[in-house]
Amino acid sequence: MNYLATFHTHFGALSLQRALKKQGITAQMMPVPRSLSASCGVCIRFTAETPDSAHGAEDLDALYLETDGAYSPLFRGG
Amino acid sequence: MNGHRKLLWMILTGLAVGTVSVLLVLQGNPKNMGFCIACFIRDTVGALGMHRAEAVQYVRPEVIGLVLGALIASLAGKEFSATGGSSPFTRFILGFFVMVGALMFLGCPLRMVLRIAGGDLNAVVGLAGFTIGILVGIFFLNRGFTLKRAYRQNKLEGLLFSGVQLALLIMLVVFPGVLLFSEKGPGSMRAPILLSLGAGLLVGILAQRTRLCMVGGIRDAVLFHDNYLLIGFLCVLAAALVGNLLTGNFHLGFVISAEAAQPIAHTDGLWNALGMVLVGFGSVLLGGCPLRQLILAGSGSGDSAVTVMGSAVGAAVCHNFGLASSGAGPTGAGKIAVVAGLVVTAAIALCNTRKTD
Repeated sequence: MNYLATFHTHFGALSLQRALKKQGITAQMMPVPRSLSASCGVCIRFTAETPDSAHGAEDLDALYLETDGAYSPLFRGG
Repeated sequence: MNGHRKLLWMILTGLAVGTVSVLLVLQGNPKNMGFCIACFIRDTVGALGMHRAEAVQYVRPEVIGLVLGALIASLAGKEFSATGGSSPFTRFILGFFVMVGALMFLGCPLRMVLRIAGGDLNAVVGLAGFTIGILVGIFFLNRGFTLKRAYRQNKLEGLLFSGVQLALLIMLVVFPGVLLFSEKGPGSMRAPILLSLGAGLLVGILAQRTRLCMVGGIRDAVLFHDNYLLIGFLCVLAAALVGNLLTGNFHLGFVISAEAAQPIAHTDGLWNALGMVLVGFGSVLLGGCPLRQLILAGSGSGDSAVTVMGSAVGAAVCHNFGLASSGAGPTGAGKIAVVAGLVVTAAIALCNTRKTD
């Protein structure tokens, strides 16, 4: 499954990317897709069995499941 | 928006910004200054009497239009979001020093592109400095720089900055007597109010839709090999270049001739570059160039509104204390201020950088 995590800060994205890498999960940092946000933040796209590794990540804004280029929200923070 | 449509919109936006900038110059704005966020904030601050540089006083309708255009686009797209609380005073100080750097160089990153499109090679030197500043900023981003997250705020918090712009527009149109207007110099050169306002609205709407950002272009290209924002930057350059060639406003060189300097520019390469190092560095830490700060402020970001206010105070200080450059070159006080700005910005970057877990 492909997941996409958006963040309130660049730092949050960087932290998750490093944490995922430690777990052997490939994570790519990229600009947030325009369809998800008008902000110019960054997001982390990763492939894993479950999105659990991203839960509780610092400054996490939202978590999406990506299927064929479409994003369905799994979690949205405040 | 799918990938191709998104790219097409960015290309159209860049071309529109470049074309509108040339048009604004033809209709009265200073040369190579169809848009300049730093100069226009400085002019507006001057019109309110917050500095007394008589040549640069005019409430620029372009700035008002940019903010209100972003407000309209964000409301229409249901993307208006009142947020704030991400190290506001640090952002104020960074906004202040971004203005100090811009007024050393004589232009924000958008005017830097427009100056290059007018053949002004001093702006190419500025671009080199700007790129270095962005790279320094990226260095800190990659090491864990953060100004901490913003939080949702009351809707009014996100609307007040646009309200201020609306008040400025009412003062300009209904009560111009209370404002200062330059009678000579760049501040006296202005396109008609409706055209300037319309140009600002159009660019504000397009920039909100596409996230156009002069700093973001180089940042994303370096960080992610993502050229989307950079394409906008290049399209502004291409359209303004063609427009300037067609209208006889392209003069390649560091000076136009032995007698004539490039419009509102100086030839001190070191300080042109250092000014833009400061702009690039500060803007990466802030997450966007001065244009982007206006767009975000219109879209509800209180943090960006505070940043713009920092830049406004920076502009007033620059002109009240002789920090701003002129066609004659930089000033001694301006050089000290830029060095101080680099030191303070680096200190802010260091103190807000922490290890990732």
